[in-house]
Amino acid sequence: MTDLNVKQEYLRLTYSDHHKASADEKVKKLLCIPLTQYLIFTVILGIFPLLAQMGVLTSSFVFAIGNTMIYAIMAIGFCLLMGYSGLASLGTAGFVGIGAYIAYYLMQIYGAPFGIAFIVTVMVSLLSGVLVGFISLRIEGIYLAILTLGLSEILRNTFISLKSTIKLDMSKVRLFGVKIGEEQVYLLILALFVLLLWITSNLIRSPIGRALLSVKNSTSAAQAMGINLMKYRVLAFVISTVYAAIAGLMYMMLLRNMTTSTSTLLSLATSLNILGAVVIGGAKSLWGTTFGVFIIYGLQSTLLSKVPFFVENPAFITMMTGLLIILIVMFFPGGVAQMAGNLVQKRKNGTINAQVQRRVDSYGRK
Amino acid sequence: MFAAFLSTVCGSLLSICVTALSAFSVTIIFRTSTTANFAQGSVAAFGCYVVATYLNQWGIPVYLGVLPGMIAGVLIGLFIDLVVFRKGRHVGELGKQIITMGFVSLFYGGIPLLFGNPEFIPFEPFYNTTKASVDSNVVLNAFGGEIVLTKHALISAAITAVVLAALFLLLKYSKWGLGVRTTASSEFTAELVGINTHVITAISWALACALGVLAAVMYAGGGAMINTSFMGTIQVNAFLACILGGFSTFYGPIVGAVLIPVLSNCVGFLANFPAFSDISRWQMVIVYILLLVIILIKPQGLFGKKVVKKV
Amino acid sequence: MAGSDRAYRKLVRKKTMLSAEKEYKGILLRDCENQLLQKTEVFRVQLMQDLYTAHPDWIPKEEAKRTVYENRMNQFDTDIAFTMKQASDRAAKAIVKDPGCRESEEQRLSELQKQQALLREDYSNRLAQEIDAQLTACRDGGSAKEAALAEIEQKVGAYRAQQAKTAEMQAEKIRQTEDAKIAKLTAALSRVQTAPAGKLTLPEGVVLRVQDLCMYFGGVRAVDGLSFDVKKGEIFGLIGPNGAGKTTVFNCITQFYKPTAGTLLFENKAGEIISLPEEKVHDVVQQGIARTFQNVEVIREVSVLDNLLIAGHRQFTARLITQALHLPALKKQERIIREKALRVLEFMGLTAYKDWYAAGLPYGILKKIEIARTLMCDPQLIILDEPAAGLNDTETVELAELIRRIRDTLGCTILLVEHDMGLVMNICQTICAISFGKLLAIGTPEQIQKDPQVQKAYLGENNEEVGQ
Repeated sequence: MTDLNVKQEYLRLTYSDHHKASADEKVKKLLCIPLTQYLIFTVILGIFPLLAQMGVLTSSFVFAIGNTMIYAIMAIGFCLLMGYSGLASLGTAGFVGIGAYIAYYLMQIYGAPFGIAFIVTVMVSLLSGVLVGFISLRIEGIYLAILTLGLSEILRNTFISLKSTIKLDMSKVRLFGVKIGEEQVYLLILALFVLLLWITSNLIRSPIGRALLSVKNSTSAAQAMGINLMKYRVLAFVISTVYAAIAGLMYMMLLRNMTTSTSTLLSLATSLNILGAVVIGGAKSLWGTTFGVFIIYGLQSTLLSKVPFFVENPAFITMMTGLLIILIVMFFPGGVAQMAGNLVQKRKNGTINAQVQRRVDSYGRK
Repeated sequence: MFAAFLSTVCGSLLSICVTALSAFSVTIIFRTSTTANFAQGSVAAFGCYVVATYLNQWGIPVYLGVLPGMIAGVLIGLFIDLVVFRKGRHVGELGKQIITMGFVSLFYGGIPLLFGNPEFIPFEPFYNTTKASVDSNVVLNAFGGEIVLTKHALISAAITAVVLAALFLLLKYSKWGLGVRTTASSEFTAELVGINTHVITAISWALACALGVLAAVMYAGGGAMINTSFMGTIQVNAFLACILGGFSTFYGPIVGAVLIPVLSNCVGFLANFPAFSDISRWQMVIVYILLLVIILIKPQGLFGKKVVKKV
Repeated sequence: MAGSDRAYRKLVRKKTMLSAEKEYKGILLRDCENQLLQKTEVFRVQLMQDLYTAHPDWIPKEEAKRTVYENRMNQFDTDIAFTMKQASDRAAKAIVKDPGCRESEEQRLSELQKQQALLREDYSNRLAQEIDAQLTACRDGGSAKEAALAEIEQKVGAYRAQQAKTAEMQAEKIRQTEDAKIAKLTAALSRVQTAPAGKLTLPEGVVLRVQDLCMYFGGVRAVDGLSFDVKKGEIFGLIGPNGAGKTTVFNCITQFYKPTAGTLLFENKAGEIISLPEEKVHDVVQQGIARTFQNVEVIREVSVLDNLLIAGHRQFTARLITQALHLPALKKQERIIREKALRVLEFMGLTAYKDWYAAGLPYGILKKIEIARTLMCDPQLIILDEPAAGLNDTETVELAELIRRIRDTLGCTILLVEHDMGLVMNICQTICAISFGKLLAIGTPEQIQKDPQVQKAYLGENNEEVGQ
């Protein structure tokens, strides 16, 4: 018992400094707050354009990150819809078109400033979301999923019929009177993404988020506890469609060009990809969803474009994405978030195991 | 005028056959394994590519060439159900559907890799086994005008009718059919009464994929260009047919599959009237809106039954 | 009608905010007090620590010996239990792989256990010896120690007095601001026009009146002309054979079904008489009726505490924007309702399960959570749908106790459906027996037991089980 000093140990046990949190613990606690995480994320991604100017990163890399964030905005809304409200919807893609076409008609044709286009996008998609929400009360499950698919196709075909190719001339875009160039678009996307991420995270950890979960788990219990099914279903759809429309608006700002008849942006493929991203990341995890979007949309244009093999055979990347989705669902139903959680748990357990083992060994010795 | 109308309706014959087979496939998979098979179109396309290879490289007649494609479909279906679904750890309903989506991507990338140029492979329709000069249309003179039907469509219709009739007879009278209907009703209970649901679902998947390939071959033979996503619209229509008819029955989706192409062609027919001459642009939109309205009126499908949970 | 009126909604909202504000005042004052105690304690601990660090020989010997010994032995026991569990897990896995080696594995485990027991004894002895050895070497503090301790107490006293002054000022400020807010809300409340008293009346003391209730599903008459009154503060039992329509009656009362015909009058929390069929199903709880379900409908994806927070959903008056931006108003409300939830958990004895996910919990606990949920809403009337289903005899007795305790503490009325005759006859003041949707008899337990129709339809000719 060489380590036993009775006096010190008594002091430690009775008068420990447990009320004073060490600096280390304080930092850990701060990092756990979502807001801190989002701010750090903003800062890191915010300096990318600077790094591109300095030549550390290529501008196509920054562009690709911006593109990924647009899909991430869609995915965050979808995460709330699927993971927290349990509503199946394959209509995400169609609502993206709303934002894109409003961008075209308002900013290109009528020369309206960005702010107006944004507000109109939100309002139109809000109304659409309310409509779909009301529909969802009559129809459930697979019927709802396919119905939303039908809605998405309606929207897509409508847009193709309206104008099959839309272009946005950046010189016409103004935000609060200031002309927006390419770098500013990236920062705008980043700002919107983090803002929406933060709002969604707040909603999830608020009574609204809990109400959504209760509607998902048991409609009877939810109603008995005073939760209005209609209100929350509509809310879930509204958020999903508004986010998708905002993503469409930003898509036009970033890419400035879309040939709707051949583009896959408004087709079932995008809806399925977003669904896949949410599932890969973990249906209830926002960071996981962001990661999933990066895997599906970002990996190809950022990292793999450096590898010549993948540039020549883009089909491989699609295959790998499909394979990844299949494997993750087969072996990690909770997605990357679950994997990460398991790893952290294993590490914790390993540390505990090691500590206990050391102590047990010492009991036998003097 | 009426003849022209009938002609338009008959023009949708091929689409009806293709959609009906696809809808049946989607239904049987959905009823037995509660999965919406998003890979239906992709598997069908893959099988079609296999068939095309046999046709073009070895000049095999199309009637025989269909077989390797269907066998490929069967193998893929069995693989998905027996290997992927069973080996996975707690793959739930949603999980299975996501896996089918993964297969879409897998095929989307895999088809170009396996078959080279993915865009266009010339394909032969059913009527023509050797000669290209045989008259391909059947013309009926009735109702004061000409009604044109392609032989390919007629042969396809005959094949579809025989296949579906055989399947419905099997479903109603055979032991396998009883197993399918029981599993469709409740998989858990079916297992308890001794039905081997694993075999049932595996056969369902195999059957569905084979039928999908058959549908794709018919569709390609009708003049469609083959590429990796050429069955996309058919798949969407098949899903819509299923919810139009309702998943509660097996014949409902077939009825839906008849309605959708007919409706679509009827709306297209309106282009003959000067007031609606521009309608071809909005054809699909109108059709889908009509479908949505019907579904809203009958949320469980035309033949569906509402399941009420007892509190 | 008062129930769905906008004015009523406004009234309820302001009332909720008012009671929340009052609770919050209590919370803030308690916080203030706790902070004072904590600060004093911290100060004292710091002084004691400094003293004993400077003079390590002065530590109280007996206490030190006991503390250190116990702590070390506890750690030892935990570690040993941990190793034993790991060993038995490994053994179980090995046995699953190869059932033949079961004997050898079990033998190995028992040997390990013996080994650990010996190790414990040895360790315990050595530990005690070492502690004694170290402590006997200490010199006693004597009078210097006494003086130092006295000085510390003096300092602590002075500190406490000083802190108490600031705390009192703080508390006074809190009282002022909160009272101002409460006064403002009370004034606003009194300004809200309530709808003129409706024409519906209930006799004094009756909280729920069911009159000629009919629920027909096509040709099936689930409930056929049922009438009964539930008096305030009583425990009312509804019995009947399976399929008699009991749950249907509950569903009609709570508006999960809209009755085909009949009147349902209820005296809500505001003291008004309302007609229940005019309420939407999710507004029923606001009127003061809370219910449990026959098939336990607990939200399995969240923790037990979150289940209760959801149950308090209507008490959150924060708007969408407040929740989207997590404004301080939301945090305040979360605090209030969280404290309430913790109180309810303590009342139900579920505090240990507070952060556990509801998904894996045993059936009995889930049933308790269901009942806890009803308590969150401060209900006038609690409807329990077969609360004793699936519980054994002991648990049923506990349940009876719990139901009585709820009624006595909260003063609410309880309406229950139950098949366990012992429970029903034991706690109910009035029992209503129904069969095939029609009333058989209604009265006290004794009357029901004696009623020949009830005996024939339900209890059986032999009244053995009844009347314990």
